[in-house]
Amino acid sequence: MSDIILFAHPTFGVLGILAAVWVFVEALNASEANRSRIRLAAFVVAGCIVLAAVLGGYWYTVFYGHEKAIILKGPWPWAHNLVMETKEHLFFIPLILALYLPIAAAGNLAKNGGARIVVMVVAGFIVLNGLAIEGAGAVINYGVKVAFVHTGVVGAE
Amino acid sequence: MSAIPTSQAGDKTTGDLKGPVAGFGLAAAITILFNTALAWVKDAYEPLNAYMASLTGHHWRTHGLVDVVVFFVLGYLFTYRNFHINGSRLAALLAAASVVAGGGLAVWFLLV
Repeated sequence: MSDIILFAHPTFGVLGILAAVWVFVEALNASEANRSRIRLAAFVVAGCIVLAAVLGGYWYTVFYGHEKAIILKGPWPWAHNLVMETKEHLFFIPLILALYLPIAAAGNLAKNGGARIVVMVVAGFIVLNGLAIEGAGAVINYGVKVAFVHTGVVGAE
Repeated sequence: MSAIPTSQAGDKTTGDLKGPVAGFGLAAAITILFNTALAWVKDAYEPLNAYMASLTGHHWRTHGLVDVVVFFVLGYLFTYRNFHINGSRLAALLAAASVVAGGGLAVWFLLV
């Protein structure tokens, strides 16, 4: 079960990133025709990022302690001390932006240039933060792997 | 949110934003910076970290809940106080807050 949660967390993160790209492109071409699509995409972003937060948060607070101990004993302790510590707090930035996105996209972006710019910037930063966080997750995962390799656990290589 | 008409979203000619778009936008920028400040303080002051952990079972859970509450409370506060701002200025504010807050977290955990 913990593995399902672990893999569902970045999956919803990636879906949230893709939906944010969708919002960015729709806002770039905002018109009366895609008004409802922009709103829908904004809610998809919020839903996916909230799910990524809930699933990742549950796994982090319940299961991560064991992996943390392994990482800290391995050759890449910075995978926790720097990368995970930054990632766990950095995650709240796209979360707040994702919660704000449906509010920013609620109006008519075709008629409101100011709101359109805000929506594009918010969606853009969700993408950038999301990609950084996905990369950080890969580094943390590798921090566990190199710890196993370093200690000579059979099969870890 | 539904109590606030979408017509309050702003004005095309000036790019001015008002209503929830402006209020919650400012709240998002403040919350993003607050998030980093709280991470610094709780990392530097262990009793706060322990207190936050005692509230929900883990400091991270409390941290996230506090961020979300701050965002919505400030958002409603700014909205109902009729805060308004230029769209480009709000976009720049959100971008600057994201860069400063994200960089601030990375530099902190790099140095500490």
